[in-house]
Amino acid sequence: MTRDLFVLAVRNVLHRRLRSWLTVIGILIGTAAVVALISIGQGLQRSITQQVEQIMGFNTLLITPRGPGLQARVQLDLAALREVPGVKAAVAVRTETAFVQGPTRSGFLPLTGYDPAMEEFVAELHLKLAAGEGFSQRGQVVLGARAAELIGAKVGDVVTIEDRPFRVVGILAAQEEGRGDTAYGGIAVNDSLFVFYEDLKELFPGPDLAQYGFVKVAPGAEVSAVKAEVERVLAQTGTTEAEVIGFEELTQRIKTVLRGVQAFLAGIAGISILVGGIGVMNTMYTAVLERTREIGVMKAVGAKNSHILLLFLFESGLMGLVGGALGLLVGLGVAQTAAVVVGRLFQVERGFSAAVSVGLVIGALLFSFGVGAISGLLPARRAALLPPVEALRYE
Amino acid sequence: MTQPLLRLEGVTKVYRMGQVEVPALRGVDLTVDPGAFLAIMGPSGSGKSTLLHIAGLLDRPTSGRVLWAGDDVTSLGAARLAELRGRHIGFVFQTFNLIPTLSALENVELPLVFQGARPRERRQRAAELLAVVGLADRQRHRPGQLSGGERQRVAIARALVSDPQLILADEPTGNLDSAAGREILEMLRGLNERGKTLVLVTHDAEAAGVARNILRMRDGRIEGEA
Repeated sequence: MTRDLFVLAVRNVLHRRLRSWLTVIGILIGTAAVVALISIGQGLQRSITQQVEQIMGFNTLLITPRGPGLQARVQLDLAALREVPGVKAAVAVRTETAFVQGPTRSGFLPLTGYDPAMEEFVAELHLKLAAGEGFSQRGQVVLGARAAELIGAKVGDVVTIEDRPFRVVGILAAQEEGRGDTAYGGIAVNDSLFVFYEDLKELFPGPDLAQYGFVKVAPGAEVSAVKAEVERVLAQTGTTEAEVIGFEELTQRIKTVLRGVQAFLAGIAGISILVGGIGVMNTMYTAVLERTREIGVMKAVGAKNSHILLLFLFESGLMGLVGGALGLLVGLGVAQTAAVVVGRLFQVERGFSAAVSVGLVIGALLFSFGVGAISGLLPARRAALLPPVEALRYE
Repeated sequence: MTQPLLRLEGVTKVYRMGQVEVPALRGVDLTVDPGAFLAIMGPSGSGKSTLLHIAGLLDRPTSGRVLWAGDDVTSLGAARLAELRGRHIGFVFQTFNLIPTLSALENVELPLVFQGARPRERRQRAAELLAVVGLADRQRHRPGQLSGGERQRVAIARALVSDPQLILADEPTGNLDSAAGREILEMLRGLNERGKTLVLVTHDAEAAGVARNILRMRDGRIEGEA
């Protein structure tokens, strides 16, 4: 009998075609907005997590100065950090402004010192060599694309940095303006010269203050344990201004922020589902009024209150479900389109794509059916409780 | 002596219209024996429709008792009453009261749907009854595509579909031309001749004439047999 009532509900909804569609569209728009936002949000989250993973890797700890500002620095005792069990490598990156004399011109340029012990470093900054190779010995230098141009140096030339000669062994490919031309800590990659950390330290005696450091965790070591130990060693060596961030935490922080934004936007979009639900309620109240006599007739021929209730709930739930299903499709379409458009606009190669999770699909369908059914509850109750005689007498 | 199918004892009904109380029935006793064909006649406002509604378990009396086959059903729950109506009472209304979105066949099937009958059985039963009322070729027609007389015949088929013990007809010819009206009355008489118990409410003396017994009502009371 439930099946018969459902079939009857479908026919009733189809019968008042225009009104049903208008009601469905109300739910559709709301669901589409929520689904699109969630899908885009999940897609963004996924792609950011992937990128962070690419840059840092799971087994990397980032040591940054606590507090804001690109000028902040941190003192790192790399030797002590390398002693920590489970640490494969510890490097610091430090940039100073140096007086550079090239074959054609001289000037002040940023000089970045780092340790090629972390060979992946160059790859992680997406730095590509245009000519020559990376340095392998002290006294060698790699030039950023614009720095090379400014001082007129080629591979094999000797340039003088702070009165000491360095041999140019490689020149970096130019980084695209506006993105990628600065690395962490605000290093202007195009403008900078790169030397061994130890060379930099000799050129700039004074306190050894780095922009940031990396700790690579050895394979198999527990990242969180190593992190705790690194923090302890930093504190021991008198470095209190440093913050150690693991990959998990970094992605967690990004996710937390994104989730907050997403919940807020979805909440706003959710209001439109609410409005859609009110639309369903309105349609159902009208239907109850219009079909009062019909309800009376059904009761006269043996329909119980529960039958009438179920019939009207089916009708409203059905409109909710259809609206939700269509809204789901539209929402995913919008999200996919948005992903493509954003990819084009910002020329992201591996841009984000909208995420479609099973949870989202099932959630959206259940939710929209629920909105429909709940919106129909009061009208259906009114229909069910109509006294048969009054319903029959209704003009 | 046979058990009466339906008995009303001292039934009153008072409607409240805001502050005003309008008495519709002022103490009615009525016995309907199995096989009876009773007409209740009276001017509009005499309470005859109210009486029919209470007899059909569509409404509850303000006071008094309603006995169905000897059992007091006055204070039964709504669901139980719906079940009794569905299985044992068939209604024929002045305005036909067919569901406009359903075909003739589906309208006839409807009482069986609420009784949980299997689709095949109820379809077959409904088709049989449509044939009985001479509408075998109108199964797929919607009420809007049928004439008044045809609609009332569909309604009669619906009233008969669960093989009820009692048929209640409320001005069944009121919206029909005289030819169609006579046809419907003949059909009702035929049903009674084949053993159905009928109660017919009308203000039309000619319609009441098909019944075996006629009761006259005025001002909420049965005045006596005509």
